[in-house]
Amino acid sequence: MKPETRLALIHIVGPEHVLEAREDLLCYAYDASPIAMDPAHLPCMVLFPANAEEVSRIVGLANDAGFVIYPRGAGSNVSGGSIPDRDAVVMVLSRMNRILEIDQANMTADLEPGVITEQFQTAVEKLGLFYPPDPSSKAFSTMGGNVAECAGGPRGAKYGVTRDYVLALEVVMPTGEIIHTGARTMKSVAGLDLTRLMVGSEGTLGIITRITVRLLALPAAKKTLMAIFPDLEKPSQTVAKIFTAGMVPTTMELLDKTFINAIEDYRQIGLPREAEAILLIEVDGEAESVDRQADRIAEICHQQGATRTQVAKDAAEAEELWIARRSAFASVCRIKPNIIGEDATVPRAAIPQAVREVQAIAARHNLTIGVMGHAGDGNLHPSILADERDADEMRRVELAVEEIFRSFLALRGTLSGEHGIGRMKSRFLHLETGEAGLKVMRSIKRALDPNNILNPTIGLGA
Amino acid sequence: MEWRDLEAEVVRCSRCGACQQVCPIFRELGTEASATRGKIGLIRSAIHGWVSETEGLSERMSLCLACKACTANCPSGVQGDQLVLAARQRLVERRGLPLIKRLALRFFLKHKGIFRVGMKLGPLGQRLVLRRTPKGCLPRLPMGLDKRRLVPELASRSLRERYPEVLEAPMARGRVALFTGCMVNHVYPEIGVAAIEVLLKQGISVVIPPDQHCCGLPAFANGDTDTALELGRATLGVFQKYPVDAVLTLCGSCGGTLKQEYRHWFAPDPELAGRAKALSEKVQDFAQYLDGQGLLGSLGPLKGKVTYHDSCHLARGMGVTKEPRNLIRAIPGLVFQEMEAPARCCGAAGSFSLTHYDLTLKINGRKTEDILNSGADTVVTGCPGCIMQLKDGLHKYESKINVIHFAQLLRQAIMGNPIPPPMP
Ligand SMILES: Cc1cc2nc3c(=O)[nH]c(=O)nc-3n(C[C@H](O)[C@H](O)[C@H](O)COP(=O)(O)OP(=O)(O)OC[C@H]3O[C@@H](n4cnc5c(N)ncnc54)[C@H](O)[C@@H]3O)c2cc1C
Repeated sequence: MKPETRLALIHIVGPEHVLEAREDLLCYAYDASPIAMDPAHLPCMVLFPANAEEVSRIVGLANDAGFVIYPRGAGSNVSGGSIPDRDAVVMVLSRMNRILEIDQANMTADLEPGVITEQFQTAVEKLGLFYPPDPSSKAFSTMGGNVAECAGGPRGAKYGVTRDYVLALEVVMPTGEIIHTGARTMKSVAGLDLTRLMVGSEGTLGIITRITVRLLALPAAKKTLMAIFPDLEKPSQTVAKIFTAGMVPTTMELLDKTFINAIEDYRQIGLPREAEAILLIEVDGEAESVDRQADRIAEICHQQGATRTQVAKDAAEAEELWIARRSAFASVCRIKPNIIGEDATVPRAAIPQAVREVQAIAARHNLTIGVMGHAGDGNLHPSILADERDADEMRRVELAVEEIFRSFLALRGTLSGEHGIGRMKSRFLHLETGEAGLKVMRSIKRALDPNNILNPTIGLGA
Repeated sequence: MEWRDLEAEVVRCSRCGACQQVCPIFRELGTEASATRGKIGLIRSAIHGWVSETEGLSERMSLCLACKACTANCPSGVQGDQLVLAARQRLVERRGLPLIKRLALRFFLKHKGIFRVGMKLGPLGQRLVLRRTPKGCLPRLPMGLDKRRLVPELASRSLRERYPEVLEAPMARGRVALFTGCMVNHVYPEIGVAAIEVLLKQGISVVIPPDQHCCGLPAFANGDTDTALELGRATLGVFQKYPVDAVLTLCGSCGGTLKQEYRHWFAPDPELAGRAKALSEKVQDFAQYLDGQGLLGSLGPLKGKVTYHDSCHLARGMGVTKEPRNLIRAIPGLVFQEMEAPARCCGAAGSFSLTHYDLTLKINGRKTEDILNSGADTVVTGCPGCIMQLKDGLHKYESKINVIHFAQLLRQAIMGNPIPPPMP
């Protein structure tokens, strides 16, 4: 980067909002993905802009001076989506962290991208409102990152994912213009749906600087129940059965023995260590209806072979269970240091077959693969436990990952339910989209980002 | 120590970022390097030689309160605070200590005699450089201390000078040794006095070993492991001499060090490790011991609304959170009101609050607001370091809220007297 470009950037955000020391740059060479830090690919600067105006000026300069930009929220994505390339500028949106408006009458909210997901949820819940998408990383992920990845979470089974709540966006385009997509109304068909194009675009098509979401009324009551199974097959069968029986649980999470024990090691909340698998299920609604729903679901679980079902006795006990569930990913790192958590997703009825495939792949490559996931929406997280210091194991992991992708796609599934393509799955994208589909995506990218400024090495089969 | 020695722990960090939600420093600075994930990334870099042992590296490692919040919250069970302390140790081995810390830790702290004389002359010297206010002193000169920092006066008579070695309770039901700790001994002897009076009144005899000294944590936290180990060895030697039911501490940081840290520090040496284990099994916090024994006789009543601040090392180091609350709730007449996030660090963190005052101000500001929002008129806590910090924070808000140790609250409830003013 030319010295005058550097000075111009410092001028835009102010010197106290720039990091340039090697000790800091190293800390932006990773995210929560297992991709190893590479000191040959450090960014040259990290910038913390304060508003869309500054973001736009930085992007404009990138086009003129020819540097690339990697937007970043909390760096909690698990697909390598915010790992920069050489000589890049990392743009962290965390300073833009204000909730601008909560419109109670229209049940919408406006916020900046750096707001932490859980803090936003707490703020609306105080007003009796509800923002459902709940990635397990909600305590530290940003809303901008959630929109860029189209994050989902356990509640997706009933309430859908981030996409289903975003009404409108302010976006700084890769050429520097600031646009406003969508509308604040509950419906709008004015022009192409640019909001949907941006949600889940992984920072490749624009930088999100303001988000308008719709909110729901906070359900009056909820109830959590745990069903314990003697094998992995039975709960897998149970998931689709519950939905076809007309029940719509808020969440339905599957955890196998590996995860149950790792979580129990972390939090000691009394999960059944002897179980082969559990389903954690939450229902919500009116107070009377949650009891009915919970009873009916427990009944179905028993019919499907659950050895025991158990209802959390109060909100605190339920919250303990959900905290435990959210810590599942990281707690298996107690077993082996590295976890390659996939999120290939299949239609609900295909879950039993998908689980069998994963078990076969694990056996074939002599790997430990824990099975966990948002079973309610078919989003499994087969998690391969490995040690980065063991080169042979890492090679087997790569083979296994590819086999998982191919087998889930054969079950009419998708490569990624919510974690994004990032760097990790980029080379597999064509398996799902086909060459023609990929070509369309690339031409959209080229049309919007002619100089390939934003996240050039992320997604899109690069 | 070699960087490589840390690799086994470092690779267990999955880089999920969960530490960011609880790190008080990340909350203020928002940079990756300020949270544990970033520090671990830097240690990983040092292991591979991607970063050299620079001033910049030391500076980033210094930005940690050792509050253990990341460790307690880490789903992978990574000991974040221990990694940072180990990194500091390595950096001190290679780069040395800054002169002022070297003087403070190696010369002053390590030599009990000099320390004592220094502390004796302290009040006199302090008056020359500190401006007295009704609440405490404000520095007159910059002298490394921030001029806005409210520091308490050193007591002219230390706690240990006020008592004989052994205090027998009539018809004793127990016998304990008291680890006074530097701050209680020299700055807040009234806390020690309160604790001793409560114990005697409760039928517990108290032994105060006269040749005890600093636990060593201040040296360890600054990376000066040699000094820390020397102080630790001395402490083990002193306390093994007394046949007591328990060794009581009045400060979560000293307590955590005696109870847990020594076992890590001395693990390589079987003989010392055995002694550390024996001491560890005896060490209890004052509140923990009394709550376990059960209070005799009637308490109070007292008036007012009380809130409780968890000291990091008492809560996450010693695991003591319920016992102080039980004692507070046992006092009739008092209203107990939890504040928001009572276990969030107040930012004192030993010498951190002296070297990073601006940052400490911000962290403490949040704590102060939580205290004010609780509506309490008294904050109770279990650590003299926190007391100094909380008083400073409340002073900035011109608040009249009182900050006391739970020993002082209990003394008041048992003796029926108002809380005595700071001791000269
Ligand atoms: C323990 C753990 C559990 C997780 N659980 C879930 C889960 O249940 N569901 C789920 O969906 N995900 C989950 N994730 C993944 C991750 O938390 C989400 O992808 C989250 O949305 C990322 O948010 P972030 O702020 O960390 O974004 P980052 O990781 O910083 O960025 C993610 C991507 O978005 C881009 N980006 C960030 N901000 C902007 C912006 N303002 N404008 C444009 N582009 C931007 C980045 O360039 C990058 O490509 C989990 C992660 C962890 C570590």
